[in-house]
Amino acid sequence: MSEVQRRKYSQEEKNNIFDGEFMPHIDSMYNFGYRLTFDEDDAKDLVQDTYLKAYRFINSFEQGTNAKAWLFRILKNSFINEYRKKSKQPAKVDYQEVETYYNSDDVDYQSTTDLRAESVKGMLGDEISNALNSLAVDFRTVIILCDLEGFTYEEMAKILDIPIGTVRSRLHRARNLLKDKLRGYAHHMGYDTDEEEEI
Amino acid sequence: MDMNEETSQSRKLKCDDTSKCFQLLESILDGEMDNSKEVLKEKLAKCQPCFEHFHLEQAIRDVLKTKCTKQEVPTELADCIRQKIQDIK
Repeated sequence: MSEVQRRKYSQEEKNNIFDGEFMPHIDSMYNFGYRLTFDEDDAKDLVQDTYLKAYRFINSFEQGTNAKAWLFRILKNSFINEYRKKSKQPAKVDYQEVETYYNSDDVDYQSTTDLRAESVKGMLGDEISNALNSLAVDFRTVIILCDLEGFTYEEMAKILDIPIGTVRSRLHRARNLLKDKLRGYAHHMGYDTDEEEEI
Repeated sequence: MDMNEETSQSRKLKCDDTSKCFQLLESILDGEMDNSKEVLKEKLAKCQPCFEHFHLEQAIRDVLKTKCTKQEVPTELADCIRQKIQDIK
């Protein structure tokens, strides 16, 4: 991830890094791009753009360090700087409101009392995927990075340029939001949600 | 579910600090806690909301991993990238 140490790779070294360390992550990169944009062409453009940037700035990549995290950081920045600007989708949700609500103890408590693990296990892939896709992009991103791609909090902090404490709290809020969506599906589908069981 | 019922009598029904506990449990599930086994064992044995939250979170992580299938990557994408790299070399 270090961009401080500058080096000069030979053409052969560049090719080796690109083929050996960058290209193997193309599946994860495309999946991330698609889940950010919900559009195959935009996802392709984002991934292609990311790889071109990665090649152009390959001298600031330290060989043997986490290439996947380095690439994800470039993709995330490209998305914010370029895609979001030209996109017609509403720029932001009111995070203040969302964060205040979803960080309250009431929500923590509610999330456990009326959504059961068994209901979640019985849900279809589309329901899970739609619930994830319906989250605001910042919340969706932390769940993708953590649960689908298996990044550590430290790696996520570097990818997103935020402190680890913020990663932890944003993930917690994202998960509360996701549970809220899943609860909606559970109610809709008539799964057992234990709604009446007030303690 | 049945197992929960049988063992829940020994657990307290209200968690003293759900916000703190749940974030701790989530950190454990994310593999971010050292020596988490003892903490986890104690929490799950003593607190019903923590027990339920842990299993719910675990189930959600499992379905995210297994049911959020990866998007199929367009076959031409890798070739297209390689071609563009060739062009700028």
